[in-house]
Amino acid sequence: MGMHGDFLQLLKEQGYQLETPVSARADGQELTSGTTILAMKYREGVLVAGDRRATAGNTVMYDRTDKVLDLDRHSVLAIAGVPATAYEMARVLEHSFKYYRRTQLQELSFEGKLRAVSKLLKDNVAAALAGTGAVAPIFAGYDLEHGAAKIFFYDILGAEFEGVEYAVSGSGSPTIRGILHYLNSWGTQPLSELSEEEATIQALRLLTCAAEFDSATGGVNREANLYPVVKLITKTGVQTITDRRLKPLFDAKVSRHV
Amino acid sequence: MYEEPYRWVEAVGNRRQYLDEQFKQGSPVVALSYADGILLLTVSRGTPKLYEIYDRIALGGMGHPADLEKLRFDLLEMAHVEGFNRSPSDVTGTRLVKYGVAPIIKQAFEEIFKAPFIAKILLAELGLKSGRDAFLTINYDGTFEETAGWAVLAATTAIQDHMGTYLKNETGLEAASIEQAVGSALQTWAVGSLVQQRAEAGESPDAPRSADQAPATSPPDAATVMAHLRATVAEKTVECAVLERGAPGSSKYRALKADELGRLLPTDLRNVHREA
Repeated sequence: MGMHGDFLQLLKEQGYQLETPVSARADGQELTSGTTILAMKYREGVLVAGDRRATAGNTVMYDRTDKVLDLDRHSVLAIAGVPATAYEMARVLEHSFKYYRRTQLQELSFEGKLRAVSKLLKDNVAAALAGTGAVAPIFAGYDLEHGAAKIFFYDILGAEFEGVEYAVSGSGSPTIRGILHYLNSWGTQPLSELSEEEATIQALRLLTCAAEFDSATGGVNREANLYPVVKLITKTGVQTITDRRLKPLFDAKVSRHV
Repeated sequence: MYEEPYRWVEAVGNRRQYLDEQFKQGSPVVALSYADGILLLTVSRGTPKLYEIYDRIALGGMGHPADLEKLRFDLLEMAHVEGFNRSPSDVTGTRLVKYGVAPIIKQAFEEIFKAPFIAKILLAELGLKSGRDAFLTINYDGTFEETAGWAVLAATTAIQDHMGTYLKNETGLEAASIEQAVGSALQTWAVGSLVQQRAEAGESPDAPRSADQAPATSPPDAATVMAHLRATVAEKTVECAVLERGAPGSSKYRALKADELGRLLPTDLRNVHREA
């Protein structure tokens, strides 16, 4: 029975299985993957951003992917890896958090949400190792209980690491990891002291860098009005920065440097 | 002995009597559409009676808390499994009631060797556009009714009719502000509660009465309603929740906190609420 408010357990009792264990990959089939996602703390909370390209090998599958997904009013999951599995995980998590809140009449704790992510990744290990379902997400949110923004990132086996200042994942992430470290250590101010606008500009620059060196990361395409997804999570909840706000920032603060 | 059909009918009849008795002390529930969504209101003595079921569906209940919990869990389970396996748009109040809880309640009611659910349920479903809201009520025997604009729960159908008559006279509800909606819902609740009290005092609206008595079918006057509300607000907890069409994100349900509700109460009740 669902008296514990565990939605995944409820699904499993009905025969649901997250992973699809495949012993070997179909010959020559390139799986969709490739991404750059990043999360960094700024003055009011945490910023999470992702490029919008989905690739399979050398093919660009789609250029308008949304890799930063709202799970509830105060947390998001940024996904890197096999999208089919990642989207399914986000769907399970979203429903799990809602189900817990509605049955138990209280919000699932931040720690509880982290555990839920780990558990899903652990259930998915076989598919991750077979290569058909590897996902390395970033979970970021505002912990209302402790009044603090938090970032966690995961490897494909479900190990959880806290990103104290920032976290990155995806094929383009090695490029920007070093930059983030440099900015945070020797920049004019640490990342956590950036304003909302400054943090947004840095995120746009970082993703542009990643796109420069990683073919599987999509850059900004001004002609197609295509910008990365940038979300801010503060005490008041998740807020998506519209393309209308990203455009002038990109024009003034990013493009002239490219 | 229940193998004989008429015995069974008799047993079911007894059940009705038994169940009617159980709801006599219950607090009515009011749900109505207003400009920005749906408002649900009741007055409770501690145990909450208003709940979130799904993104756009809320529940109001009367009856035994344990039975309500059981049915609430059934609804939550059905809604979330359906919402996950199909899509959130496929979770509708009508389906939850018709193919979900109504058959469960009816079965429990007619299985005369087992205990029935002591519960009446109201489901309010927020439409995508105003004017598309749906309200469903389920009685303890599993019969259900779908209405538009508003719905109420009370101890008997006679009392519900009184509340309905009152609500029908409140014009312009669909364009009402949240303050107006709280006011109308509270007064409808008070009408139900007063008629219920009178019925209990032996002056049943259904029973024949002598000519010198004031007709029990006449609604309580405005002054009586206000006095009743003043006493209620001072002693008990007004519980209020909304489904807001404009709320950010997919979940539209929000329970109003005491201080917010305090600001929304009709002016002459605000002081009483603050002191309580």
